[in-house]
Amino acid sequence: MTDRLEGWEKVTGAARYAYEYPLENVAYLAAVQATVARGEILAVDAEAALGMPGVLAVLSGGNAPRLAPVDDGELAVLQSRRVAYRGQFVAAVIAETPETAAEAARHVRVEYAPEAADVLLRADHEGLYAPEKVNGGFPADTESGDPDAAFAASAVRVDATYTTPAEHNNPMEPHTTVALWEDDGTLVLYDSNQGPSAVQSTLAEVFGLEPAQVRVISEHVGGGFGSKGTPRPNVVLAAMAARVTGRPVKFAVPRRQMWATTGYRTPTIQRVRLGAGLDGRLDAVIHEVVAQTSAVREFAEQAAVPARMMYRAANRRTRHRIVRLDVPSPSWMRAPGETPGMFALESAMDELAVLTGVDPVELRVRNDAPEDPESGLPFSSRNLVACLREGAARFGWDARDPRPGVRREGRTLLGTGVAAATYPASTRPGEAVARAEPDGTFTVRVAAADIGTGARTALAVIAADALKTDLGKVRMEIGDSRLPRAVVAGGSAGTSSWGTAVVRACEALLVRLNGEIPPEGVEARASTADEVRSRQKYARHAFGAHFAEVAVDLDTGEVRVPRMLGVFAAGRIINPKAARSQFVGGMTMGIGMALLEESIMDEAFGDHVNRDLAQYHVPTCADIRKIDAVWVPEADPHLNPMGAKGIGEIGIVGAAAAIANAVHHATGARFRDLPITPARVLAEL
Amino acid sequence: MIPASFDYVRPESVDEALEALTDAGEDAKIIAGGQSLMPLLRMRLAMPDTLIDLDRLDSLRDVRDDGDAIVIGALATHHRVLRDPLVRAHAPLLVRATAKVADPAVRHRGTFGGALAHADPASDLPAVAVALDAELLARSARGERRIPAADFFVDWMTSALEPDELLTGIRVPKPGEGWGVHYEKFHRTAQAWAIVGVACAVRRDDGRVGDARVALTNMGPVPVRCRAVEEALAGGAAIRDAAELAAEGTEPPSDLDGSAEYRTHLAAVLTARALAAAAAV
Repeated sequence: MTDRLEGWEKVTGAARYAYEYPLENVAYLAAVQATVARGEILAVDAEAALGMPGVLAVLSGGNAPRLAPVDDGELAVLQSRRVAYRGQFVAAVIAETPETAAEAARHVRVEYAPEAADVLLRADHEGLYAPEKVNGGFPADTESGDPDAAFAASAVRVDATYTTPAEHNNPMEPHTTVALWEDDGTLVLYDSNQGPSAVQSTLAEVFGLEPAQVRVISEHVGGGFGSKGTPRPNVVLAAMAARVTGRPVKFAVPRRQMWATTGYRTPTIQRVRLGAGLDGRLDAVIHEVVAQTSAVREFAEQAAVPARMMYRAANRRTRHRIVRLDVPSPSWMRAPGETPGMFALESAMDELAVLTGVDPVELRVRNDAPEDPESGLPFSSRNLVACLREGAARFGWDARDPRPGVRREGRTLLGTGVAAATYPASTRPGEAVARAEPDGTFTVRVAAADIGTGARTALAVIAADALKTDLGKVRMEIGDSRLPRAVVAGGSAGTSSWGTAVVRACEALLVRLNGEIPPEGVEARASTADEVRSRQKYARHAFGAHFAEVAVDLDTGEVRVPRMLGVFAAGRIINPKAARSQFVGGMTMGIGMALLEESIMDEAFGDHVNRDLAQYHVPTCADIRKIDAVWVPEADPHLNPMGAKGIGEIGIVGAAAAIANAVHHATGARFRDLPITPARVLAEL
Repeated sequence: MIPASFDYVRPESVDEALEALTDAGEDAKIIAGGQSLMPLLRMRLAMPDTLIDLDRLDSLRDVRDDGDAIVIGALATHHRVLRDPLVRAHAPLLVRATAKVADPAVRHRGTFGGALAHADPASDLPAVAVALDAELLARSARGERRIPAADFFVDWMTSALEPDELLTGIRVPKPGEGWGVHYEKFHRTAQAWAIVGVACAVRRDDGRVGDARVALTNMGPVPVRCRAVEEALAGGAAIRDAAELAAEGTEPPSDLDGSAEYRTHLAAVLTARALAAAAAV
């Protein structure tokens, strides 16, 4: 139970976030967004803006520096006359003050030749195609056995379509960059991101620099939830503006501009077919996903990937189809793939439980997979059943009456639901340096990112363990691209990847230490590339089970969650205090997904209409009642030296399904489209 | 999220404030706690030429006894309203509703007068003022007038205040004995605006609800007094039957949080709940 090492700095405001670095001679940027969803920019009239006192420059396609093309077309900022989506950055004003920049941005007149835009995802869209790979590098389609025949021949069949809306990450700290070019041509970025090494290499590519010529500093980051895992256009724009003006430039993306420019979770349309025997044992699993991407960046949400490893079935098919629409580019949002995919799969499992009369916990236990069903690989550890059993015991599941719609207290219907969770346990290569200082303390360096997860603290705990010393003697240095190269805080692979490098560096240091430490200290570096690459092949995944109780108001249709429990099997938990926060935070975000979150597309204008936190609802602390997360002991020797699996994402996976399943248990009505709003519920009561 | 530039005036007295208002003309905005205005300024939905900050006008923060009424200074914060013994004694409905305004941080800065002058039909307190037959005290260089709450809210975000007028206080009649009160608020998350809200005060008479005052939040461009419900109750109707009339004469909006039809439904449901809670039956 270790407190956050930087907790004091954060609550007192001393911790420095990207926007807060005090620099001399700073200029401020305000971006101009496209007001059409598709078309050509004919002219940019900056005269009025340039005439305003304090305006230093107006950047647009005509005068912006040329950039090297990179895979992510979002980073080709101001490089084309094409408008790919409404809200795309088409110009930027740099001025002496943020007020002036914002005001001048309103006076930049952009003339367009608009074209008819296509912004609505449909399951029968003619533009749907199979991407070469889906996010995570997985194949778009897999098939084994004869799923259609097996499904047709099954005694019990579920065939249902589930939809999830566009959802926005909305970290508290917006995407923020302070860019400056030093005299020697080095680009320095104080930037809010999930991995300084990744920003460094991408920005070097974009600006035609050597990686060593880009320095990225991100000591404290106020959340990301995936949206800061890849550099977004704001970084490029700030760097361009700093080059053009010769001044340090600050740019914090306003909340309302984040909806279009910093990523979101694609809406999905998912058809799930489950074929089973009367005993609920699965014979066919078919999961087919339709999602969207943009005209400038291909992002294929891997929503059917968990169906490949979750349950045993001899006949299976998964399929992903995406369509390029005239919409902002979707990207990573907490457990991309698993989050929408497991809503569909775990809702379908609940439907199967109802049809077969098999208890939903027992149904999942019965279909537990002894090895990875598609690859045949053994699981490094798989404790889904333990999570289900432990959760059932703690939640009081055994006393549950399975009949839907029969528990009534006054004008409230009560119900409970369960859903499983899973998330890959990845470890990626990286480096770290450990130093013994002459004063008996240690410094450990790795370009990790603490985006609010407690990564800095977890790594210090790992280092202290490896060094066999007290936590107080370890100083962690993270959040700087000059530190040993590290993967992004993403894919729940941070602690596992960085921690492995930290342990190896600490071990190497201990070997070198004998007796007195010289004044210059002793240092050891480790790279885990070989170790990670040469690992034995296993299917490595974390598992979990969510149990939710809901209260449904018969008169208003409102759904509340008075009680929720998550039980997880995620290897060794490094810091129980922060881990619990990660799990509970994920579950809370799952409550938001189930009941509240939805970015609504305006078909006429091609824009999300509810672009602020007054209209895009997320649960607040006051909305959350009894919520708890626990974990089962799990010793897995096939992961990494810590025996740890990532825990940042699994908390949201399956959470929405548990709530939707509980709503069905309460009301007898099945909600296959998220979010489950009061008006939608009322219509079914 | 940075406001457009404006002139800033911080008067030291009410007279100075009135002078500043007269000088600034129609494009001035008054700022009190700033909890509604600041977001509008930051999103540049409001771009006044002059901002007149009332922060120094401590004389408008107090609550005083005025015989058959209490007078709440326009600058009394929600937090102050919640704790004030006079308000607690004589305007319990206001206390109930104020406790549901936004969150503690907002309640520490936001003011009763500001919430009314802002005239947002989705905010909680205008309906309370209407239900309580409050009078709003408006001063200008031309003098002072009392505006009945029912006449104060003219249209969406529009009050009856003239450009040179300042809301200085709210006069809330003392209700007398035997009243029960309730504010029922339906919202998606704890700090969100009401989709529909119901403010009500009822007087029990031989175990029945006789006198009732009911007003609705966010069922139209202005808070709505539910005369039909009140009359039905006065005529002896049961709560559930009377509440069915709640949406009569309203023009509920349709937005992302609820259609007009859903709001109409909610108005009846929530009115029945509010009346039952107030009557404690």
